[in-house]
Amino acid sequence: MAVSYWRERDRYYRILGSKCQNCSAEFFPPLYRCRKCGSDKLSDHEMPQEGQILAYTLLRDPMTGFEDHDPMPIALIELNNGVRIVAQLADTPIDQITVGSKVRAVFRRVRVNGPNGQIFYGYKFAIKNEKVNLTR
Amino acid sequence: MKRVIIAGAGLTKVGDHWNKSILDLAVDAATAALKDAGIATPDQIIIGNMFSGFSSSQESLGAMAADALRLWGVPAFKVESSGASGSMALHVADSLVKSGQANSALVIGVEKMRDLEPSEAARATSLGESSEYVQFFGISQTALGALITQLYMQEYEVTRDELSCFPVIAHKNAVTSEHAQFRKAVSIADVSRSMPVSDPLRLLDCAPVGDGAAAVVLSNDDGMVKDPAIEIAASAASTDSANFYQRDDMLEFMATRRAVTKALSLAGISVRDIDFAEINDSYSAVAGLSVEALGLSKMGEGARDARDGKFDIKGKVPISTYGGLKGRGNPVGATGIYQIVEAYHQLVGKAKANQVVDAKIGLTHNMGGIDSAAVVHILRRIS
Repeated sequence: MAVSYWRERDRYYRILGSKCQNCSAEFFPPLYRCRKCGSDKLSDHEMPQEGQILAYTLLRDPMTGFEDHDPMPIALIELNNGVRIVAQLADTPIDQITVGSKVRAVFRRVRVNGPNGQIFYGYKFAIKNEKVNLTR
Repeated sequence: MKRVIIAGAGLTKVGDHWNKSILDLAVDAATAALKDAGIATPDQIIIGNMFSGFSSSQESLGAMAADALRLWGVPAFKVESSGASGSMALHVADSLVKSGQANSALVIGVEKMRDLEPSEAARATSLGESSEYVQFFGISQTALGALITQLYMQEYEVTRDELSCFPVIAHKNAVTSEHAQFRKAVSIADVSRSMPVSDPLRLLDCAPVGDGAAAVVLSNDDGMVKDPAIEIAASAASTDSANFYQRDDMLEFMATRRAVTKALSLAGISVRDIDFAEINDSYSAVAGLSVEALGLSKMGEGARDARDGKFDIKGKVPISTYGGLKGRGNPVGATGIYQIVEAYHQLVGKAKANQVVDAKIGLTHNMGGIDSAAVVHILRRIS
């Protein structure tokens, strides 16, 4: 997993997706052919860090490696450029999660390869708190 | 092109087979199907299976099955297409037998799930989702099923109790289904109040984890035709965006819609001619979205049609007649073949308490992921 993680680091750290050079459509995850116009001229493009929740769930049936995330809050988010992403929610009391909540990307630990193994990081999202802004 | 008939069928009960390996299950179903067909040596063996490498550290299932059945020399391989593996295996076999490339084929759907711990079973059933962007973050297929369920309920104002009508139908039919995993009726309240698994999904919204194998033998030999004979009138497969949330309309199952449109055209019938449908009711909302994409309900009306009795065994279009994925069980790669065996039993009139009266045309619908891949078959009684 270490190599595949390294390969994807910009995707996980910066939400680096694709932008079509022909029709300007934006995508995440990155892709090979533009979903809108079919062009294969795509360049790397960072996604906006903010969006809103379209749907959410509390997963109580975690996969191996995520047993300590029970429940795991997961949301379907529409970023401010219209791109939809499914991601874990972090830093957010479960009772504050609602459809329509504004969220922002945060950089968090995603998983750990055993007690002495590699630690993998990536994006998660947190409900935007207007009073305290922890990002950047 | 030759006419393809189902010459024989066999299956195992779905559930806990602690004393059976994946190969044991495959051999049990295959032996029953070959015996039923009266064919000793098929021209081809195709296995539908999703994750034998993960669950049983066993690949090369084709050669393994040929060896176990003492059918050395018969070409054999495995077809994988996530939850649609079984029906995709049949799709490939149908085209070989229809073209005459093979005159007969043994198709086995098999999955071994109960050797896995629950958290490993969740990983196994999520292997068809993006490794980098879904699995990496611990997002399981159940979580994706939950998100689309919430969208479905919001968009069409489907109530919790309306959604529960799908598992109620499935379990009611499973009571008299001898091979079903859960032969127990449940009420709307049982479903709506069952344990939350991934809100708003509850335990009884979700197809269970179980072991099982089912097999059919296809033939293009008109001399094999029994009375009544059942033909594969159409076999059609399609795909859509791997991630449902990247579709323009997240609540339209286009892979299913494309597959059913093609299948109806191939069979030369309209959806109104369908006497019953074995649908991919892996989650309650997926059942609703499936009947809508299949054209059995208007968009957003699937759950209310279920509530109003349209899909009951004596309703206008019975679904999940032996319990569906929810009640019969969902041994993933085997499910598509269970559906075919069940449709076959309906059409030959051997469904006993589960019989759909005067069933002449049956449809089966199987999907991988959240409609990333879909396969539709139409079976027809021809004598």
